[in-house]
Amino acid sequence: MNVSTTTVDTKAESLWTRFFQSVRRNIQSYILLVAVAVIWAIFFFWTNGSYLDPQNISNLFRQMCVTSFLSIGMVLVIVTGSIDLSVGKLAGFVSVVVAYLQFYVWFKLFPGQVVLPAILSVICGLLVGLLAGVIQGYIIAYLGLPAFIVTLGGMWLFNGLLLLVTQGKTIAANQPVFSDIAQGYIPSMWGWAIFALIVLALLWNVFSGRRSKQKYNFTPRPLYLDLLTVGIVAVLIFAYLYSVNNYKGIPVPVLLLAIAAILMAYAANNTRFGRYTYAIGGNRDAARFSGVSIKGTLFRVFVLMGFLCGVAGIVLASYVGYGTIAAGTGYELDAIAATILGGTSPLGGVGTIHGALIGALIIASLTTGLQMMNVQPSWQYVVKAIILVAAVYVDVYFKQHR
Amino acid sequence: MDDENILEFKHVTKQFPGVVALDDVTFDIRRGEIHGICGENGAGKSTLVKVLSGVYPYGTYEGTVIYDGEELKLGQSSIQEAIKKGIAIVYQELTLVPTRTVGENVYLGKEPVEHGRIIWDKVYADTRAILTKYQLNVDPRAVVNNLGVGKMQMVEIAKALSENAKILILDEPTSALSRAEVERLMEILRTLQQNGITCIYISHRLEEFFLITDRVTVMRDGKVVTTQSTKNVIQSDLVKYMVGREMKERFPKGNRKPGDVVFEVESLEAVDPNNPNRKILNGVGFNVRRGEILGIAGLMGSGRTELVTTLFGEYGIISKGKIKMNGQEIKPKSAREAINAGLSLVPEDRKKMGLILIETILRNISLPNLDQFSKFFRINSNAELQASLQQAKSLTIKTPSLEVLTETLSGGNQQKVVISKWLLSKPEVLIMDDPTRGIDVGAKFEIYKLMNDLAEKGVAIVMISSDLEEVLGMSDRVMVMCRGFSTATLPAAEADKERIMALATGVPVA
Repeated sequence: MNVSTTTVDTKAESLWTRFFQSVRRNIQSYILLVAVAVIWAIFFFWTNGSYLDPQNISNLFRQMCVTSFLSIGMVLVIVTGSIDLSVGKLAGFVSVVVAYLQFYVWFKLFPGQVVLPAILSVICGLLVGLLAGVIQGYIIAYLGLPAFIVTLGGMWLFNGLLLLVTQGKTIAANQPVFSDIAQGYIPSMWGWAIFALIVLALLWNVFSGRRSKQKYNFTPRPLYLDLLTVGIVAVLIFAYLYSVNNYKGIPVPVLLLAIAAILMAYAANNTRFGRYTYAIGGNRDAARFSGVSIKGTLFRVFVLMGFLCGVAGIVLASYVGYGTIAAGTGYELDAIAATILGGTSPLGGVGTIHGALIGALIIASLTTGLQMMNVQPSWQYVVKAIILVAAVYVDVYFKQHR
Repeated sequence: MDDENILEFKHVTKQFPGVVALDDVTFDIRRGEIHGICGENGAGKSTLVKVLSGVYPYGTYEGTVIYDGEELKLGQSSIQEAIKKGIAIVYQELTLVPTRTVGENVYLGKEPVEHGRIIWDKVYADTRAILTKYQLNVDPRAVVNNLGVGKMQMVEIAKALSENAKILILDEPTSALSRAEVERLMEILRTLQQNGITCIYISHRLEEFFLITDRVTVMRDGKVVTTQSTKNVIQSDLVKYMVGREMKERFPKGNRKPGDVVFEVESLEAVDPNNPNRKILNGVGFNVRRGEILGIAGLMGSGRTELVTTLFGEYGIISKGKIKMNGQEIKPKSAREAINAGLSLVPEDRKKMGLILIETILRNISLPNLDQFSKFFRINSNAELQASLQQAKSLTIKTPSLEVLTETLSGGNQQKVVISKWLLSKPEVLIMDDPTRGIDVGAKFEIYKLMNDLAEKGVAIVMISSDLEEVLGMSDRVMVMCRGFSTATLPAAEADKERIMALATGVPVA
């Protein structure tokens, strides 16, 4: 390795070099995308094409939403070196609380209304999740109890509360407006409008980024590269949009997920809070000695996770249309699996939001595909287990043999 | 010829990226001798030990090591292989389990077993036998935690000997020992020698070589400078061989005029946060002026690191005394508070506490300073990059880009990243705990120059060092610590090795 004095890699190196460098840095994400493509291709053949028809794609993305909300929160939890086992049952608890309110409470207080109850349910669901996050976060961050035990206890607690609320019964949560949250679609027109907005936002991002770089005397990347990246992203979104608009449009929860994911990614990459989570996971002692507030950051991570559980619970209730006694069972494991599959290291310090989304997509793709092929649920578990472990093995192998 | 030597190094070379740790090392150790090895930090002593002990197995270095007549080819489970061959090492950091007894520690991993059960009687009987044979005065049933450092070391030696060691390597055995304990160690080594065991004695305390060793090898920059019979050399010869240039050349000339007192510590006492009954600081007082370098000397265990981590708000709980910055009392309860008050700490163990190894240089440098580049919730990554680049350039960190992970850097460059990180926070007082430990000579010089530059700009620097020459060469004043106390602060003109050593060991100065 030739060492030289410090330079920032702003000189115009050959296009190929920079492309390969960028690929190498993000190799994990690219491999995951390839994996998705491969899985889709395999199921496409095995189901004689019905796997990729618009209705199925639409359902696929909708199905991954609940776990995805949990996964994107789980990324930062695991990045700090912590864990949250309560997310499944917390989401479940929120879903039954919301169902209870929708079924028993609002119509009494506001007879005839549908929009107001839906809004109130959302607020209440988010508050429940937030509160749970605050309590668990406080115990873990400020009282210093191990997250594993605290959230395990949390899981049991929420399960118990869930059963108390439902009293063993299933509660209907399929009222209009409320059920639109998870079962509604964005009409095509609005879909295209959103697309236009996204493209404009991306372009604005590119140009303001370039302006900022110039202000600091850094040479920005060649313009065509930036535009090419925007172009590729636009094409992918276009493909998705075209496909779903052939069915009924973007499912509402997918839009909600996209917004949540963008916000989380921004938090992880562009805020001090995000940096601190990676620092704590990378080396807790060094982070402490660098002035990072371990307690404050951990607390925030769990509060955020609780909030996202609230979101997941609301979507869950709306999606299923009922608050059930088994709501949320096992979701924490799906969330953790998706996060780790997406490249988050179980040891902390490494992980991305988009990786977790792709991980969730892979798991959902597998589940849907196997269902379409009428594979027994038991075998589905076996297949998913093998793939999860194999994927982590590949990941570890690559990391060791850079 | 083969019989006379138990160990021969022939042209052994070991390289790391950027550093040659061992450079064509060739010398031998005779059977039954006590052979001293000395050299500065980074001279290669630890690497040599790691080659012998199996940490660096056969194939990770060039050259040949001949042990007991055969070439040493330690393979996969190399550390255990080395132990089975009779190569035993007593490290500076003790490897005992403090909550278990002496006997349990000595036979850890090799307990005698019958029908699946450990025969404790045999464990203790065998332990007693070893202790008696080598005249180690320790109770085999004592719990290690309750022993003093000197006795713990005896247990380590017993542990080594229980594997039928033929050659015992002691790495800095006396840094934490009292005078009496040092003498006892010497007697133990003589007993070992009488029993036919060869000893390699690695130490910074040159005077000890003349008490116990038969021959001495001096290393510098990975090379063997010379091997001499101890009778034929005196201490200043060893120093000359070790340093290679006059001491004056090792340290750049400073051109600074210290100003007002900026930081003061008064009668500071502190306790261990995990054990409030244990005092870690018994009364420390000193001050630092702007533009001054204050050296803090003292033996291992004197409380220097405890002092600075307490000052930084991240370890000891202050029970008495005051800390003042610019005349105002401060009570840092966390690193963040200390940083906000104008302090910075370059910690002793840069890998554990100074750097996040899996992160990039950029993110390490900016971590404590993110507030400088953030408005509302957003980090301005361009401002971050610009400021960090500037720091990296002014410290001449050798790297093609700031996106490189710090774990790939050499020790010297890693330390520079840590220093950059703190400089970016514009501290008034920069505390450095053993800043040049484990760094090659060239990088050390750069760091010394940097310290001079900073002092000239008005930063107050507090430098802890275990290297007396470094303390003497760089400091304007020297404060000496001993067993949790600060003993005295000497101006550079009055400080010399003997006085410092005397203060550090608690021997009253004539």
